[in-house]
Amino acid sequence: MRVIHGTTIIAAAMLLFASSALLADDELPIPADAYVYCTVCHGVQLMGNSVIRAPRLSEMEDWYVERQLQAFKKGWRGTHDADLAGIEMQPMAAALSNEQIAEATAFVVKTRSDLPMDTVRGGISRGRHHYTTCAACHGDDGQGNETLGSPALTNVNDWYLITQLRNFKNGSRGAHPDDAYGNQMRAAAQILADDEAISDVVSYIATFKNN
Amino acid sequence: MDTSNLSRRRFLELVGAAGGSTAIYQTSRAMGLLQDTGPVAKLDLQGVGAAGKKIAVLGAGIAGLTVAYELERAGYEVTVLEASHRIGGRNMTLRHGDLIDEMGHNRVCNFDDDPDLYFNPGPARIPGHHKRILHYCKKLGIELQVKANFARHAYTHESGHFGGNPVRKSEYFADAQGFMSELLYKAVDKNRFDEPLSVEDRERMLLFAKRIGDLQPDGTYHGTARAGYESGGFIKPGTHKKTMDFSALLQSRHWESAFDNIHNPEWAEPLMEAVGGMDNISRGLARNVKSPILTNAQVQSIQNTETGVDVVYNHNGERKKLSADWCFNSIPTQFMVGIPNNFPKDYNEGFARVRPDNFFKIGLQMKERFWEREGIYGGITHTDQKINQIWYPSHGIHKQKGVVLSAYTFGAEQSAFFERMSPEDRIRYAGACGDKIHAGYSSYIEAGVSVPWGRMNHMMGCGVIWTPEAIEKYYKRMRAPEGRHYMIGDQISYHPTWQEGAFASAEYALLDFDKHVRAETAVSRKG
Repeated sequence: MRVIHGTTIIAAAMLLFASSALLADDELPIPADAYVYCTVCHGVQLMGNSVIRAPRLSEMEDWYVERQLQAFKKGWRGTHDADLAGIEMQPMAAALSNEQIAEATAFVVKTRSDLPMDTVRGGISRGRHHYTTCAACHGDDGQGNETLGSPALTNVNDWYLITQLRNFKNGSRGAHPDDAYGNQMRAAAQILADDEAISDVVSYIATFKNN
Repeated sequence: MDTSNLSRRRFLELVGAAGGSTAIYQTSRAMGLLQDTGPVAKLDLQGVGAAGKKIAVLGAGIAGLTVAYELERAGYEVTVLEASHRIGGRNMTLRHGDLIDEMGHNRVCNFDDDPDLYFNPGPARIPGHHKRILHYCKKLGIELQVKANFARHAYTHESGHFGGNPVRKSEYFADAQGFMSELLYKAVDKNRFDEPLSVEDRERMLLFAKRIGDLQPDGTYHGTARAGYESGGFIKPGTHKKTMDFSALLQSRHWESAFDNIHNPEWAEPLMEAVGGMDNISRGLARNVKSPILTNAQVQSIQNTETGVDVVYNHNGERKKLSADWCFNSIPTQFMVGIPNNFPKDYNEGFARVRPDNFFKIGLQMKERFWEREGIYGGITHTDQKINQIWYPSHGIHKQKGVVLSAYTFGAEQSAFFERMSPEDRIRYAGACGDKIHAGYSSYIEAGVSVPWGRMNHMMGCGVIWTPEAIEKYYKRMRAPEGRHYMIGDQISYHPTWQEGAFASAEYALLDFDKHVRAETAVSRKG
């Protein structure tokens, strides 16, 4: 797993707001033509775009990005009628070769953007209670666990977590028999009884990034 | 129909339903849909003053190019940044070899290399009251031709009506008007009104009813030559077609849109199109712009500063900065949500509240112009199948081949149906729908293109949806400048998806900009 120190993330996020600093920052990647497509929906430096329902991808773990691109390519993700945003993503991954998936991943993990704003208002203390189950795989602070194949939860949009928990719960994600990690998460999502429980746990997860 | 209790109001409603146009026109006027009529605003832009001379234009569609064209003439130093590989935005014409940059399915247009074989997947019609686009076409010498939007020999087709067979529009409209006018005649003849008509008005109304429907001398309808002859009519005497069943006609649903399609001023004859392809309009504008227009230049950041606007963009693998005194931005609002900026919260909220609209079109190259053998020259066939419409080309008459619009969907839901298919499946689907209307339709297909605007690179939509709430809360906010940054494009107009909306937005921004320039220059002179 690519380890990014918190201070680097914060520095990069602050720099992004000043365009002259953005210009000077050689650390920020410029996508090759083939990967400009990613930025059309996911935004500059893959900062996320709520209108297009394309989540923030900046700083995601390389192994997780690659695994999800493969899941889309294989049709494990983004083929269910209820997964409207996934259906939009699926043909993008399907058009990529394995080499291109590796290249796209290399671009994604280099991107930097501000941490997402909180948009979900759920019950944090109830969420903390639900999260004890999640913590086993995703870590006490949502930092993720590569060994278990569980991604960090701290750097994606809260509205995206809501969509994905609903998708896992209703089987529009994680239901394909070959998608072992997806199957696991689909089972885990069943502990969240309803939409209220989902927004509670997501509101609790949102508190991690302020720690 | 029982006409004994027909009130005057109901009678006028019936006239409105039969005549359509006047009623619709008056309603449209009352609703302000035909606003902005009158002469084109005179753009007497002051030359460069104290407010600076460097202009950044974001987006090389109609609005961006118009701003570049006008400001360059007023002496400004303009740079146009365009994210996609081409100039024109949705003002697009596909010809042999053109790239169709659809997300996940990019491909090349496989039409024959022939100047008559092209397809306008974006705007394709210009009505006579869109004064701004016509003004620029005239000024720039962009040649226009009449585009038939209505052909009496084209069809209406409904899977569950008229035996599922296509019905000629001539027959449909002749019978619809015939039956309606017969009712009108009867009502007038028997004086079945709350407030009786005067004797003179009654006589005139009877003649009026006869003329509308081509009635018999006794006021009954038994068919008309307007529906087309069953046989003869040239060397032998003509025989009228048997009339359709009035009840079947009422049960079909074509009338729900048929009259609006003819009488709504946006679609009313005669419409126009640019000769050789609609993109000759954006090409004409671009040809007259000397300032740099950079393609594949994607904006990364927009920052208002004390004195102007800084725009960072990627171009040729490098990150560059353009420091401008003013910025005119036609980037689709939904993309602005994913571009770092330092705009105030409410302005950014507006970007998120204006939602993208969506349209989808298919164009098929047919190896023979079989529709001309059916007497169809231009115009549109309407069907209740998912393709909605078939458009026959108004140009290239009697040539061997032609490109037919073979699907045209409106809104996100209709468009999603086709978006989710592979490009090959879309063409097969459109072919199968066409077979229900024209015998052997799919066997004529040689090549085809489909353009789902919601999946086109750097577009992801076509026009915008302004809900009444969003209009109320954000429209004036988005139209006004934020610092020295203007949002422009058809998205900032009451006419999204129409080229006239883009021209109108550019005109509005330029006039507003000019006021600011004059004010700042006056202040600096005093100072």
